[in-house]
Amino acid sequence: MIDLLQLVVAGLSTGAAYGLVGVGFVAIHSVTGIINLAQGEFAMVAGFVAIALLGAGFPLAAAAVAAVVTVAVLAGVIERVAVAPAAGSSAVVYIMLTLGVSTTLKATALLVAGPQPRALPAFTPGVLDLGGVQVRPQDLWILVATVIAAAALYVFLERTTTGRAFRACAEQPVAARLVGISPSRMSTLSWVLAGIVGAVAGVVSSPVFQTDWNIGLFLGLKGFVAASMGGLASIPAAILGGLLLGVVERLVAGYISSGLQDAVAFFLLIILLVARPSGVFGRTGAVARV
Amino acid sequence: MTAGGPRLAVEGVSAGYDRITVLHDLTLAVAPGELLAVVGANGAGKTTMLRVVSGLLPARAGRVRLDGEDVTGRPAERLAGAGIAHVPENRLVFPGMSVADNLTLGAYSRRRAGRTAADEDRAIVWDLFPRLRDRALQSAGTLSGGEQQMLAIARGLMARPRLLLLDEPSLGLAPKLVTEIFSVLGRLRDRGDLAVVLVEQNARAALRIADRAVVLDRGRLLLEGTPDELLTDPRVQAAYLGRGYTPATT
Ligand SMILES: Nc1ncnc2c1ncn2[C@@H]1O[C@H](COP(=O)(O)OP(=O)(O)O)[C@@H](O)[C@H]1O
Ligand SMILES: [Mg+2]
Repeated sequence: MIDLLQLVVAGLSTGAAYGLVGVGFVAIHSVTGIINLAQGEFAMVAGFVAIALLGAGFPLAAAAVAAVVTVAVLAGVIERVAVAPAAGSSAVVYIMLTLGVSTTLKATALLVAGPQPRALPAFTPGVLDLGGVQVRPQDLWILVATVIAAAALYVFLERTTTGRAFRACAEQPVAARLVGISPSRMSTLSWVLAGIVGAVAGVVSSPVFQTDWNIGLFLGLKGFVAASMGGLASIPAAILGGLLLGVVERLVAGYISSGLQDAVAFFLLIILLVARPSGVFGRTGAVARV
Repeated sequence: MTAGGPRLAVEGVSAGYDRITVLHDLTLAVAPGELLAVVGANGAGKTTMLRVVSGLLPARAGRVRLDGEDVTGRPAERLAGAGIAHVPENRLVFPGMSVADNLTLGAYSRRRAGRTAADEDRAIVWDLFPRLRDRALQSAGTLSGGEQQMLAIARGLMARPRLLLLDEPSLGLAPKLVTEIFSVLGRLRDRGDLAVVLVEQNARAALRIADRAVVLDRGRLLLEGTPDELLTDPRVQAAYLGRGYTPATT
């Protein structure tokens, strides 16, 4: 029972990181229709920036915040420089484009930081004992960061004019233009949001997963599976999908074989693609577009 | 603004999609306070014409003027702030948002005008469509077709337009609702400054409230005149009023 609880807590925390990355996929896809293959790299870059700033003597909190801001700006610039000029292209063009961005970010990280993994230290050292369940404090940090990011995103999307405009653009792009919402501004905003959530995931999970030039592939894939559970269309579903994936992975590793842990994501992805392309938690029936 | 000039002038506009040209050298004008009905068969190019005027579709030739100002080629998201409200075919309300939020977004182009201005506008559209007030917190996707149409019009009005473009607002609605909605359109026109372009396949209903009407046929202007002139034109009777048309005198 204790074992089970321990696995579930650890799974929820890695799952929360997957979910945050997944939210990035949803943000960009719901507004632009693009699947951003560089989503995982936002986490990777943020991890490295935070590690570098910490190494330069900044306090951990400042390094973490600065890393998130840096990646948010970077994501916005990428959208303006690399994505916006290709407006109206086919899906294949965007796949090549974001793959190119991903490769560029990875190669740059490899050149600058080298091939060896690094990591931020755990935000709080030691191990917590919650009634016999051993919990790494970092797992709680990941969960807390996810809750804060999700709540902030909720308030932004539900309570602010810009947030409503963002949702309008995702729900009904033609009508959004007709009330004066600029699709290109919302596209930039979607990349900035994706940068923020990806960066938060990259920073808080660095003590657990470590940060290396290739970690974006791992996080991006898991995040994509999480987002797919809501058909790439729902933010709550992406977070739930991430949590589910994280927990199932840990249970498979704990009770069956740790070698199978990473196969879980692929297995879920295949089931999803075959059985429910609109996602497990997704709505069936697409919104009509004109 | 040119005093006495048209609110909207479409001058020799051609437009289309990919390799097909839908509109051919189309010219028409609407004055402030005027309600122009645009009728024509399915596929005549009525929607395309509205899309060009509101900036959703670029014109291939010709000009679009708003109060004399050349707005050709300006994208839709900027024309919304310039005073053009396009209530599109199929309503296109924001289905996952409440009626109130749909209205708030209608005022998006005037978001810097402040909250009081938006509250005033909301009160005005709620007077026009009391049903919407009753459903303020309901999500728009759950409204009936008629209510969605009212919401789409109300959302357009929230931008305080100078020019209101309506694309088949009667489509799929029960006759009673059509009457209700068209009477609101009449009231809007009677305020004196708003120009309204009403695209309709329901020619009879549209001609009943219009000041003037044009008939589009395969992307060209076929006829233009007062509703009475068009109603008595044999070509219109045959092609657009269809079976079941009875003159108002019977
Ligand atoms: N997005 C589009 N792409 C290609 N052709 C279109 C598109 N929209 C409309 N058309 C064509 O343009 C013509 C005019 O359509 P439309 O303006 O919608 O007519 P109406 O509103 O009068 O029914 C039709 O032949 C239609 O098939
Ligand atoms: Mg049409």
